[in-house]
Amino acid sequence: MAVQQRDWNAMPDEEFRRFFRNWLIENCPQELLFMRKQRPHYEEVKVFYHNLARDGFLAPLWPQEYGGMALNPTKHMIYVEEWARLGCPRIPDHGIGLTGPLLLHYGTEEQKQYFLPKIISGEHVWCQGYSEPGSGSDLASMRTSAVRDGDDYVINGQKIWTTLAHCANWILLLVRTDKEAKKPQQGISVLLVPLELPGVTVRPIPNLRQEADFCEVFFDNVRVPVSALVGEENQGWTLAKAVLGHERIFLGAPTRPEYALSRLQVLAEARGAFNDPAFVSRFAKLRLDVYDLGSAFERFAKVLRDGGELGPDVSVLKLFNTELYQRITEEMLAIVGEEARFNDDLEAGDTMIDAMNLYLDSRAPAIFGGSNEIQRNIMAKAVLRLPG
Amino acid sequence: MPQMIFDDTDGTLGLLRDSVATFATRFPGAQRLRQRRAAGTDLDREVWAGMAEAGWLGLTIPEELGGAGLGAREQSVLSEALGRELISEPLAFLAVFSGALLSEAEATVERERLINGLIDGSLIVSPAVQAANGSIAPIEASASGDGIKLSGEAHYVNAAASADEFLVLAAINDEQALVSVPAASAEISQRPTLDGSQLGKVSFSGVSVGADRVLAKGAAVDAAIEKAVASTRLALAAEMAGIASRELEITVEYTSQRVQFGKPIASFQVLQHKMVDMWADAEFACAAVVNACERLEEDDPKAATLAILAAKARAGDASVTVGRRAIHLHGAMGFTDECDIGHFMKRAVALNSALGQPEALRLEFVALERAA
Repeated sequence: MAVQQRDWNAMPDEEFRRFFRNWLIENCPQELLFMRKQRPHYEEVKVFYHNLARDGFLAPLWPQEYGGMALNPTKHMIYVEEWARLGCPRIPDHGIGLTGPLLLHYGTEEQKQYFLPKIISGEHVWCQGYSEPGSGSDLASMRTSAVRDGDDYVINGQKIWTTLAHCANWILLLVRTDKEAKKPQQGISVLLVPLELPGVTVRPIPNLRQEADFCEVFFDNVRVPVSALVGEENQGWTLAKAVLGHERIFLGAPTRPEYALSRLQVLAEARGAFNDPAFVSRFAKLRLDVYDLGSAFERFAKVLRDGGELGPDVSVLKLFNTELYQRITEEMLAIVGEEARFNDDLEAGDTMIDAMNLYLDSRAPAIFGGSNEIQRNIMAKAVLRLPG
Repeated sequence: MPQMIFDDTDGTLGLLRDSVATFATRFPGAQRLRQRRAAGTDLDREVWAGMAEAGWLGLTIPEELGGAGLGAREQSVLSEALGRELISEPLAFLAVFSGALLSEAEATVERERLINGLIDGSLIVSPAVQAANGSIAPIEASASGDGIKLSGEAHYVNAAASADEFLVLAAINDEQALVSVPAASAEISQRPTLDGSQLGKVSFSGVSVGADRVLAKGAAVDAAIEKAVASTRLALAAEMAGIASRELEITVEYTSQRVQFGKPIASFQVLQHKMVDMWADAEFACAAVVNACERLEEDDPKAATLAILAAKARAGDASVTVGRRAIHLHGAMGFTDECDIGHFMKRAVALNSALGQPEALRLEFVALERAA
């Protein structure tokens, strides 16, 4: 693999921006730009994935010795911005964004040497096994258990809302290893589990958009060796929380609402909605909300650029972003009258606008990654220091 | 808690914040506001003299004209701090607006007299440039000897009764002029404002002023007005961001110590979520003002104008809605005149209404952006 080992951080910001943008233009297949799907499957974006891997652009934050780019926060911001601006698709990134960082921090040397190259090559596609039917917002109440039996753990239980599990071959699994722990958070461990093992069943769940983005995953006496454990037994909760890091800011990046607003604008132009003062008023509110989200994003991005760390307050971007995305897509339906009854795309001059697709899609981000109500609970305590 | 975040390498911004905090111990905002309201006056002379002494009146006036020559960041930090302390003298109009107009004016003896008086507080120079509908509009005027003769009214004039001089926009046929008019020559009627002050309607019936009082003419007038409106909107936005932040803090303090059902009411989730939303509004307001200051430092006038429109709209909405919700979370106490929180909200409504409410500013933003 001819991976470029360059000191990207030494490159001037604007030069890096141009360089990476040009690389994306040349290496992301045209048909993948601005995909309908928010979470394309590995098979659909394989070419792009492998181009990224080939040239060493797949893992922006990993150290160079493991094939990463080791970007500083400013460069990483540019990387994410250019990706979004060109409309490149999201790739299955649980390996890059979750398993990789977890192993880099807490994995054994053996685990790093075995797993990291297989993530970079695309051989291992990871998914994240956290939520359970009875444990959504209250994640620490999870019951999927792993019981020691000789040199193995035996896993029993069920995960749900596991994004892209049906396209993955490995799962990063949170399991309960101590049922007697004083606090529910204390008895949880992280295991690396192949999905091809006997006793694992993956069942896709069609979502509101009739796509199978997420799945149920069942574990029936699944055996893994104790070497599947990451870090120490019963310390999984701390591990899982620690890897989030500064990437939380991207849950609040203005790119999603910006894109939706641009679609609304095209639709509105084509339907003559800008002649309606009532629409213009509503549009102006949405436009300024998108604009001000950009200002607020910069406020937090500056903390990173200056070498600081983000606190729990950064979640305010996720709240505002996800609720704004919903309001924009609601406005799309409001201006098309009776046509809002159709499930397929809407004509707008010589383009098609996927208003329904976006409307349905916008329901999800306010729920996942910690629902907006959970985010408000956390900020009430951690930012405003309100009493419990 | 929310605050505008700027680099402050030489410590100027920190000093400004400290000086406002010290000032507020001498002149507590809410207390002075109530005193002024009781006295029925439109300016607290003692507070104003203190502001002059602190060097705040000429903060952004260029050094060669006797000011401190500082920029939008410093003005914003000062205004934010004044907002937090509810120090409610009309600095945004008497210093920022008038200061910008005079800084853009022609270098005449009259300009020097006015600007010196403005900076040291010895002259109250108030802009009288708005029509009854709030728009910036000139008063009808005609040539009279060397000078001009004015007949008409200006509205929403700050400190009209306390003013020594008005800065007036005059239209002579098709040409605009900016002139200074002695306050004594005008007829003034005042109405009480929501924030315990007075706003004046200023009438001129055939008032003549000499040519020496013409400060700018033609296109220079438009440029000066544009600059003054932009600077003042930004200062108001910063002040309202400060108000929003303080309203939130007061509410967090109050609900954390107010006990009902055996618990601080801030421990109830329904209140917690409301306060998180209030905090978010204040944070976004601060970020919007910071963004406007940064855009002003770049060489793109349109981008700067858009950013200021956004900041005033955002901070205005934030200060008013956070204030309303704050009153509600104080319960009956919030509805009393004795409790400060209501005065923050009323001040916010007053500032939010000055030079364009959020809806109008947003429409202006979209019209300007779409007119690419």
